[in-house]
Amino acid sequence: MKKTWPTLFILLIIAVLIGIGLFSGRFMIYLTIRVMLLGIFALGYNLLLGRTGLLSFGHGAFYAAGAYGLGFFSLHLSSHPLLGIVTGIAAAALLALIIGFFCVRHTEIYFAMLTLAFGMMVFSLIWNLRDFTGGDDGLVGIMREAVSFFGLIKIPIKTDKQFYFLILIFFLLSAWVVHRLQNSPFGLALAGIRENSNRSEFAGVSVKNYRLAVFVISGAFAGLAGALETLLESNARPFMAHWSHSAEPILVSLLGGLLSFTGPLVGSVFFIAMREIIQRFTENWMLWFGVVLLIVIMGFRGGVVGVLEGLLGRSRKELKE
Amino acid sequence: MGEVILDIKKLTNFFGQVCTATNLDLRIESGVLTSIIGPNGAGKSTLINLITGNLPVQSGTIFFKNQDITHLPIHKRVRLGVCRSFQIVNIFPELTVLENIMIPILTMAGRTWRLFAKTAQEKAGRTQAEAVLERVGLIQRKDTVANALSHGDQRLLEVGVALAVNPSLLFLDEPTAGMNPVERVRLLENIRQLSKDGRTTFVLVEHDMDIVFSLSDRVIVLHRGIILGDGNPDEIRSNKQVREVYLGDSV
Repeated sequence: MKKTWPTLFILLIIAVLIGIGLFSGRFMIYLTIRVMLLGIFALGYNLLLGRTGLLSFGHGAFYAAGAYGLGFFSLHLSSHPLLGIVTGIAAAALLALIIGFFCVRHTEIYFAMLTLAFGMMVFSLIWNLRDFTGGDDGLVGIMREAVSFFGLIKIPIKTDKQFYFLILIFFLLSAWVVHRLQNSPFGLALAGIRENSNRSEFAGVSVKNYRLAVFVISGAFAGLAGALETLLESNARPFMAHWSHSAEPILVSLLGGLLSFTGPLVGSVFFIAMREIIQRFTENWMLWFGVVLLIVIMGFRGGVVGVLEGLLGRSRKELKE
Repeated sequence: MGEVILDIKKLTNFFGQVCTATNLDLRIESGVLTSIIGPNGAGKSTLINLITGNLPVQSGTIFFKNQDITHLPIHKRVRLGVCRSFQIVNIFPELTVLENIMIPILTMAGRTWRLFAKTAQEKAGRTQAEAVLERVGLIQRKDTVANALSHGDQRLLEVGVALAVNPSLLFLDEPTAGMNPVERVRLLENIRQLSKDGRTTFVLVEHDMDIVFSLSDRVIVLHRGIILGDGNPDEIRSNKQVREVYLGDSV
């Protein structure tokens, strides 16, 4: 019985997501796509922050690497979306490997500042190499061609409704992969590094290598999200690499709950929903978002998921009594 | 027994003007339960830090099983079989007791690079971890978060994490500090037993002279970075120089 409840819950969520794709209007579909993209970004990112305890301010750079990787590939080589996405992920992972190599030697504030510095460098490179990257205009005119498998089957993704299901597949795949990683011996070693990196070394863990590995993995997820957003908006923009964008998965993870698997997902839903709602009333949505974040950090350390788990635990106790 | 497992040559270490090891030559033999004693600031902890890699060696060499480990990173020394426990509690606080032990066991078995395996299905590792917990007497608390343990139990876990590496040379830095008498007796009995089994050679740093003299085969007295006395407990007890600087009239 213990195992059936989570399974039912997951099936229910998938059913709702499919239902949104089939029956809701364009706006709702667009918003849900946005939630899933941010969810992929934040899920991968939280392997680094929540799991391993490393705070990076530079993951926008990998998001942009995914976006521009797909963009260049699509504009110059082939507009096959899946190949483009794979290229984007590979570009992001490669960049993460290079930047990570220098960053994982340091921890805490030094690590955070190094990632910030590298992120800013990537941003200004994209901004200034106008001939190559299109500067502040970004890469434009990226097409959403049909997904073809060796020319035999062609699945169109032109409309947002069709594209929605491609995103949904990648979203579910990402969630599954991150879940597996967290529950693997590798994930346990990462948690050990978060809890006590010195003791981890005395448990035989080569801490730097694990940090680098998780840095590259989280960078690859950022790249996937970036590539998918580029397909959604049909352009790649330099602000994807900006530090303010790097902060988004941090805010989302904090909002939802750092230490839980579902935290970044719940946080993404809240983040997008709040932005939509608050923006209807006022232009400075960041001000009000700041207030909400303040309350969460000061009052509810476990984030939304932590609060829900607490409530659930209490009601279960009461049921038993 | 008798085979040299650790060979330290001309080890020197300075913290600014303070010398914590001066041209130290030291050999540890396998199977010989050795204790290092000395007044505060004698350089005991520094010596362990240098041997296990927590501090970089400034000059001198360290050989472990005839292999030069002087400049190896910590985890590589651990892989070779040199491990330690800490004077202060140094565990994985937010993880369960079982997970605390699983980390070294799975790492040493080379299984932590399995990105898609399930920790829950690591049966062999789990059995090994439970055996370690059985030994240190924490098996009933295996699903408790380490943070929630009493201080004495955390000390036991501290030693457990070090034992889980299954090292051939293990340094225990004041292992019984903060334990109640029952836990203390149990741990010392464990050390005696494991030492007899011969897989692990123990080197203890202790302040409690009763423990040192009853448990050890060999006692090394450090004072200001030099070895003041070295021999079996009886020799140390009767060593005049040692009595003057350290033991005083208490023995």
